[in-house]
Amino acid sequence: MNLILTGAPPIHWAVGGAVIAAVTLALLYLANRRLGLSTGFEDVCSFVLDTPYFRRSAVMSGRGWRLPFLGGLLLAGFVSALLSGGWAPTWELGVFDEVVGWGPAGKVAWMFVGGLFIGFGTRLAGGCTSGHGIFGMSNLEVPSIISTVSFMAAGVVTTQLLYRVVFA
Amino acid sequence: MTLFYLALGLVFGLALSRSGAADYNYIQAMFLFQSFQLYGIIGTAVVLTAPGLYLLKRYGRTVTGAPITIELKAMNRGTVVGGLLFGVGWSITGMCPGPILVNIGEGKVYALAALAGSLVGASLLGISYPRLSRPFGLPPVAASATRR
Repeated sequence: MNLILTGAPPIHWAVGGAVIAAVTLALLYLANRRLGLSTGFEDVCSFVLDTPYFRRSAVMSGRGWRLPFLGGLLLAGFVSALLSGGWAPTWELGVFDEVVGWGPAGKVAWMFVGGLFIGFGTRLAGGCTSGHGIFGMSNLEVPSIISTVSFMAAGVVTTQLLYRVVFA
Repeated sequence: MTLFYLALGLVFGLALSRSGAADYNYIQAMFLFQSFQLYGIIGTAVVLTAPGLYLLKRYGRTVTGAPITIELKAMNRGTVVGGLLFGVGWSITGMCPGPILVNIGEGKVYALAALAGSLVGASLLGISYPRLSRPFGLPPVAASATRR
């Protein structure tokens, strides 16, 4: 299966996993930081909302590393596109286009609703794929293992329902 | 240090972009059990990070000699319910938080809507936190950043 961005196969999964592990360990050893990206949503919110929740130390003390790190992710997507033949805005959405076939307005609504689940869910759970799935599981933390099993299970059920029942 | 964090994010993001972790089709294929790719990525990351973490914690110091501190996650009903909600969102969008930004960078316009939804969702959680703390057993805000 080819990537939507490049139209070519991805790098080997072991290489992807090894780079993620290297960055996670470098962040802790070099900067004493626990990998965790969904708190970055709160970093952004904290510029607008000043309730005690958004002013707590875990948010305020982490902005200095998380925001540039998130900027690096944004830049990485741009560089990755440039290296694969040029950057251009696109609405391409792979199997969603083939099976569901909605236009831009439908995709925006779909993605916004999905985003609500991501933003609310990750912050209620206290972490996402990075903080719970990678760091927490590697650190053998019970809450992270439970949360990872929960979001993997919900992802499987949702996609199975969407592509085998609702849009089938 | 800002540039250092930006560089780390760049390396991390390139891995996400080119491995399939930020690709809608690969996320759906993972949840449909049609592709091993994402299980391989997450599995490798955990299998390599775990011994590294163990050794780092035993050594106990960062490169500057400061003691390593790891903020631990709270355990409550939100751990499960929030995880379930996030899983639904990951399936709908085909993106988890990091890859949302990678996808925007790649030029995928709809990813901006996923980011907007995520920021609104996180704001809603933050605003309703005082009301949710009792039913979900969430820690009080001041104590939510426990360090070890």
